[in-house]
Amino acid sequence: MAGSSMKDIKLRIKSVESTMQITKAMQLVATSKLRRAKERMENSKPYADISSAAMKAAVRSCAGEKVPFAEQRDIKNTCFVVIAGERGLAGGYNANIFKRVAQEAGNQPCCVLPLGRKAIEKYQRLGVPLLNADYAHVEGLSVSACYKLAKRLIDGYSAAEFDRVVLVYTSFRNMLSQEVTAVQLLPLEPEAEEHPRPVSTVYEPEAAETLAHVMPDFLAGRLYSAVCDSYVSEVSARRTAMDSATKNAGDMISSLSLKYNRARQGAITQEITEIVAGAEQ
Amino acid sequence: MATFQLQIVTPDRMVFDGEASELIVRTITGDICILAHHIDYAAPLGIGEARVTDADGKQRCAACNGGLLSVSDNQVRVMATTFEWEEDIDLDRAKRAESHAQELLKKLSQSDADYALAEARLKRALARIQAKG
Repeated sequence: MAGSSMKDIKLRIKSVESTMQITKAMQLVATSKLRRAKERMENSKPYADISSAAMKAAVRSCAGEKVPFAEQRDIKNTCFVVIAGERGLAGGYNANIFKRVAQEAGNQPCCVLPLGRKAIEKYQRLGVPLLNADYAHVEGLSVSACYKLAKRLIDGYSAAEFDRVVLVYTSFRNMLSQEVTAVQLLPLEPEAEEHPRPVSTVYEPEAAETLAHVMPDFLAGRLYSAVCDSYVSEVSARRTAMDSATKNAGDMISSLSLKYNRARQGAITQEITEIVAGAEQ
Repeated sequence: MATFQLQIVTPDRMVFDGEASELIVRTITGDICILAHHIDYAAPLGIGEARVTDADGKQRCAACNGGLLSVSDNQVRVMATTFEWEEDIDLDRAKRAESHAQELLKKLSQSDADYALAEARLKRALARIQAKG
């Protein structure tokens, strides 16, 4: 009896050890990917910041005119751009994103532009109409792919295929906290400015036309920066998750070793008792 | 020479951030030269050669494509789709792209959806060749 339980414990220790090797390896991979991902994120920030400021300025300058991409239509259909991961094992990274999308969507009709294999699989399974299911790799998603996506969104919006575009992604705060963020990309939200400044910028052509002209570029830049941000979040979430998994595996191994040693001690004691009892007879 | 703050960004990186004394870029309405203390201005960028003269008067050429030029308060920002300095341009590749686009344009009629794409490709190739030359 003692022998079989000792064998069981030994098997469990072995299986936990091999799991630990995997989680440890994944943690190391995530750590090494993190540096490059962070660099890419830092590089994508200036364009997104500067262009969003320029866009706001252009919207302000449209005062009185009809601002392109800003008319409020009845929301019949919403398009969600969902950026999730390529793989699981990153704690709640993917689940949090999907939860937020479900919360934002409610029972309204919607379609989804999924980025990342997990998002594609998820929404295919749910049977939600997808705009495109070709972007499974978030890690290597290029700027030119974002331009294609931006063009697709603008075409769909202009053709009234959907009346609202919402981007749901994870924004990276620090190694331990990432925040799911939902922003409305289209229509542009009119700004409630407290101190309207007189705008003296000369637009050539007029502000509205300029804005319409550069909208695809800005949207692409915004998407690219969100993609970079999400990827850093994914990698750091995975690193944290794998770090605690490795720690847990270590704890399990030490408690199992203790059990194993107790069982072994018990078996030896029993054997000695049996021998002694036999000799006494 | 009077200078201004110039920032050139593309979606994937900051290309230039510093003082400059002169900037020439092509907007969709034509080439424009920006000097220090230009009035506040904004225009979408076309496809063409760009020239940046830094504070020491040294001029650098680049191929610039799409985006927005904005000037506000002596701060000039070029938000370009692509921006390549002349030393980063692969001339052979640009020439190949040029001849390829020329061939395509001969085959396609103006009503084709791809015509505009091929035309843009040709323009980009020509801008690169010009910036390099």
